Order: sequence, then C-alpha cells, then structure tokens
Amino acid sequence: MTASPFTWHAGGCHCGGVRFEVALPATVEAQSCNCSMCAKTGFVHIIVPESRFRVTKGAERLAEYTFNTRVAKHLFCAECGIKGFYRPRSNPDGWSVNARCLDSVEGFELKIEAFDGQNWEANGASLSHLSKEPA
Amino acid sequence: MTELTGHCHCGAIRVELTTALAAGELPLRACQCGFCRRHGGLTTSDPKGRLHIEAAPGSANRYRFGLGITDFLLCAECGVYVAAVMPHDSGLLAVLNVKGVDLPGFEGRAPDPMTYDDETSDQRVARRAERWMPAVFVETSPSA
Repeated sequence: MTASPFTWHAGGCHCGGVRFEVALPATVEAQSCNCSMCAKTGFVHIIVPESRFRVTKGAERLAEYTFNTRVAKHLFCAECGIKGFYRPRSNPDGWSVNARCLDSVEGFELKIEAFDGQNWEANGASLSHLSKEPA
Repeated sequence: MTELTGHCHCGAIRVELTTALAAGELPLRACQCGFCRRHGGLTTSDPKGRLHIEAAPGSANRYRFGLGITDFLLCAECGVYVAAVMPHDSGLLAVLNVKGVDLPGFEGRAPDPMTYDDETSDQRVARRAERWMPAVFVETSPSA
C-alpha cells in the first residue's frame, strides 16, 4: 500500500468556535487574490478537493455571504468574522482554505503566488483543476 | 484636510477618515496578533484626524477578546473587519483597517510589523491614547 502524499493540518477562526482540517501535500501552492472580496478579507487560497477538507467544529456558527453571481459561498465565523474557508466560484466542487487560518505553516512548503481576481472572467478557469479528486 | 472614504464589501459599514496628512504619510501597521493575522488586517490612524464610522441598522457586530477593552467592529453581513474602537477618558478612540475598507492611497506599501503581546492594560491604553484617533460610531436609523 502506498502512503498518502497528504498530511492533515488543523486550523480555525480566532474565537475558537470554528475548527477545520485540510490534507496538504509537501509543497502547497497558494494564491493571493486581488479581487474586491479577497483584498478585504486578506484571504490566501489553498484550494483542495472535497475529500481533503472537513469542518471539525462549529459549522452551525458559520454565516454565509454571497454577491455578484452568488456562486461562491463566502463563509465566516459569526462571532469573530474570520473567514477560514469557503466555496469558491472557481471551484464549487471543492474548498478554498485560508492559509492565514492554519494553526501552523510548518511541516510543508507554502508557495504563494499572485492571482489576478480583478480579471476573474479571464483567469478563474486556470484554478479549476485544483479541486479535482484524484482518479 | 483630506477625506479618505471606504466601506466593507457589502457596503453596510462606511467610514470617512478626515486628516491633514496625505495617505502616504499615514502609518500602515501589520499587527501580528492572531486576530489581525487571520483577517489580514493592516491598520492606520491619525491622532490629529478623526474617523467617522456609519453602520446600517444591525450591520455591525462587536467582537471582544484579550484584555476585553476594545470593540472590533465586524460587518454582520459580509464578515469584514472594519475598525477597532476603544472607549477612553477623552472619548472614543479608533484604528481603521485599511484593507477591510480598501482605503485609497496605500497600495504597494510595506506595512510595519507590530507586536503588542507584552503590554499591560495601562500600557495599551496609553499607547492608543497617543496613536489612535478620535472617532464617532453611529448606526443609521432604519428609515435613513
């Protein structure tokens, strides 16, 4: 049996009400997006398939915000406002986890690249492979 | 005087910073606490200026932690961290999250990393009395 290339890492909001886990490879490519929403929330995207993410505490504390096409489901802790993860418009079949909300960024390499979300229509499709489940 | 304006993502909370300084002369601080890091907050204040914060009815959540002397104002609708306010002998004092309201004139600047973990309550209040700015926080009436 081959060992999984992924390791589970925990994270959460500030008040502790919402906790999650995400399975990450040794090298993680993350996106820093300049769109109006991501700029205001400081979101640093780690996009993963459905199977590599789980909410472990506080799903009932999440508030949802939508705008524009309303495809993306922007979730945040209703208590402390922290947006630890959400359903992105680019990857509605997966999750985007906020690298800022991981308990630690040790144990893997985090490569943050710029993503031009201000021109989302031209660039959004370039992210769609990130949430595909392995065959 | 310059008036710099901004708002949270959905527009329910709006701010106006009145200052004699150009945006480029205002400080830009990156507090390293767990709250500010998670929100990606970068803050500014002008002790000689003033901040007007206006929130639609029911749109501002107040979050407290740590010493419990500060209200962190969050938009209940879109979750954005707008500003922090602290009651003080001199009146309400505030610091504004430049990122949260997309305040113009700060693009491309490297923030100053700040760590306040070791402050006592008195030290924190004294620092803010020097660096934070007078503020007014109003919730508009439903008919406004």
